[in-house]
Amino acid sequence: MNKELTCVGGPVCNEKLSAGLIFAEGQNLTHQNKEALWEIFEAIGRNWSNTIYNSNNQRSSWYEMLKAKTENAPNYTGEYVNAIYVINELKAIYGIGGAYKKLFFESGIDNSAPPTNRLAHCKIYVVNEFIRMQITAGGFKSWGTKYGGEQAKNYHGFLGGTRYNRVSKVRAYDPDATNLKADQE
Amino acid sequence: MKNQFDYIIVGGGVAAATVAKGLLEHKHDTSILILEAGPEIIAKDRRFWWDYITKGERPYTFTYDQKFEADSTGNIDYQTEGVRVKAYGGSTMHWGAWSLRFRPEDFNLFTNTGEGADWPINYEELETYYNDAEAFLSVCGDDSANWVPRSKPYPVPPFEWTAADGEMIKAWEQLDVVYQDGDINPGKSSKIKSGKMPVARYRKCMTTGTCKYCPIGGRFNAQYVLDDLKNDTRFINFEVRTNAPVHQVNTSSKSKIESVTYTDNLNGKEHTITGSTVILASGAYNVPKLLRASKNEFWKDGIGNDHDLVGRFVVSHSMLNVVGKAQSNPNGWFQEYDFPTLMSHSYNTKEHQKKGKIFMFKNRTTPNVDIAQLMIDGKTREEIDEIVYGEMTINIQAFLEEKGKHGNRLEARPGKDRFGLPQTTVHFSRTEKEMKNANDRLKLLEQIIEKMGLEVISSRVDKPGGHHTTGTARMGTSPENSVTDKFMKVHDTDNLYVCSNAAFPTGSAVNPTLTLTAMAFRLVNHFINK
Repeated sequence: MNKELTCVGGPVCNEKLSAGLIFAEGQNLTHQNKEALWEIFEAIGRNWSNTIYNSNNQRSSWYEMLKAKTENAPNYTGEYVNAIYVINELKAIYGIGGAYKKLFFESGIDNSAPPTNRLAHCKIYVVNEFIRMQITAGGFKSWGTKYGGEQAKNYHGFLGGTRYNRVSKVRAYDPDATNLKADQE
Repeated sequence: MKNQFDYIIVGGGVAAATVAKGLLEHKHDTSILILEAGPEIIAKDRRFWWDYITKGERPYTFTYDQKFEADSTGNIDYQTEGVRVKAYGGSTMHWGAWSLRFRPEDFNLFTNTGEGADWPINYEELETYYNDAEAFLSVCGDDSANWVPRSKPYPVPPFEWTAADGEMIKAWEQLDVVYQDGDINPGKSSKIKSGKMPVARYRKCMTTGTCKYCPIGGRFNAQYVLDDLKNDTRFINFEVRTNAPVHQVNTSSKSKIESVTYTDNLNGKEHTITGSTVILASGAYNVPKLLRASKNEFWKDGIGNDHDLVGRFVVSHSMLNVVGKAQSNPNGWFQEYDFPTLMSHSYNTKEHQKKGKIFMFKNRTTPNVDIAQLMIDGKTREEIDEIVYGEMTINIQAFLEEKGKHGNRLEARPGKDRFGLPQTTVHFSRTEKEMKNANDRLKLLEQIIEKMGLEVISSRVDKPGGHHTTGTARMGTSPENSVTDKFMKVHDTDNLYVCSNAAFPTGSAVNPTLTLTAMAFRLVNHFINK
């Protein structure tokens, strides 16, 4: 079980909930809900700098995921609305930038344990899934520049599309390349 | 409900789909009933796919054998949990789609080694059907490789080696094929040759590894074929019934199969369906269990089991697995695909057959860093960069061919599984000689890892398992040495066939599905010519 948190967030974040998905059958997200959730998704790209420019080129895929997760059972609408409550409280306490730093890097949530308060629900059902979606849809794109060398191209599960079909999906073998290159520099 | 058909096919996987499609395309109004014990789990569903991406959940895993449904005895644990999908589409719901031909020597194992068995057919008799199977599954392969004789090019070009394959390719170029004690022609020398893994992918494939639940149908799944057949208005007499475990094959005489009996899992009712021809296409697990369960006045010990051979000669692959570690990964090598792109048949030849052939490949997922998990765990960009370029592991793996032994047997045990099929016990042992041979082969793989400049941190022979189980109703020349004849017809019957890995007398060192598909095409041809 997740330990009860006392250091991150306020009464909303720390309100106890059962671990299962928040019941929301028959409920839908509003446009405002989606915009608030998009802010979380964008903050992921901003905090890890893992997108080329920003998260906008993943917006249609992200919407499609939201639709799939809220229009089919089990319905995630309750989790998404909860995440908005949580982030609003964090922003009120820590400011916008500080809120996401707390949520992403200092939440203290055990990601492998059942979530038992609102903050943990937000982290596990929303933030963690958004991270996986963003890395999958975005590939590596900006990882691999540390040594100024070539970069691995895409994460497992990267889905290309008609816009990108002419771009090689993976980094192909080059007989002249060597894994010692950077060490020798 | 219709209860009489030209063909009844038990099982709803690749063999069933291939046979049904072939028969229906030959004669559109052929009446065919497929009875599948498992449920229908929708493929290409967007919600399922997003759950797979975001949570790692796959919708069919609940159909896998659980430990309480399938166990093993013997001197080594036989893995049965997590390997077979019991659902409409069968194990093609989750297969990796590595599509390799058996080699000519695989059909003459006993002749060449004095162990195992020979097939009653040879490679040449199956070669044209391999072409059909490769076209059907859309196999992407390298025509220049020339590993086995082939009369047609692959239908689709190969996936190229990834950058991460490079160091292993270079290591192979520097190493000789070592002919170990027990191999033919010790002392002979040749270089290890690199090859591109033939995998079944349609041209529309455009992901880097969500193949275990493909969002776009980019990899063959028997479900797609069966859906197409069901929706084709020409095939008015084609039907699939899911949740329909068959538990009895009924005969009207020793040679005449009359019907099968199944239970409708949705209402518990039992139905008996008559068929002119019955084809058991339910895999190397269920075929022998069904045959032995079908006892009657003509077959006291089960159909085809007068010589107590049904379920025997279980063959699997031992997986050899060596892991090497480098202190850093400066170029960020990463196996972006979730399938291997580099392989070699250099030890999968007749010369190595006696000791045990191996089919080598670079592991499908290494090197790899789970970047998303590191983010989830709260690592910063800088910390993740350090990990991406830090310590790296690469696995080399190999399937080791095993030879069928009389004492290795798969059979039913009391009780039903969750789908109404008999539970399973596999009695499986390896001899000391086999273990020694496996460990000798392991040493070869260790040399490769060391040649790559890596430190060997793990070297092991994994337990055998149900992934590639073959040989429980094997083909042969007579009822005394086999269960089925060269057309996979159960000996001493007129109209009962086995279209399954169960009919394979040997398992080679490669994945069996392409060969099963080729055998299904051959069976269709046999029916058409009858």
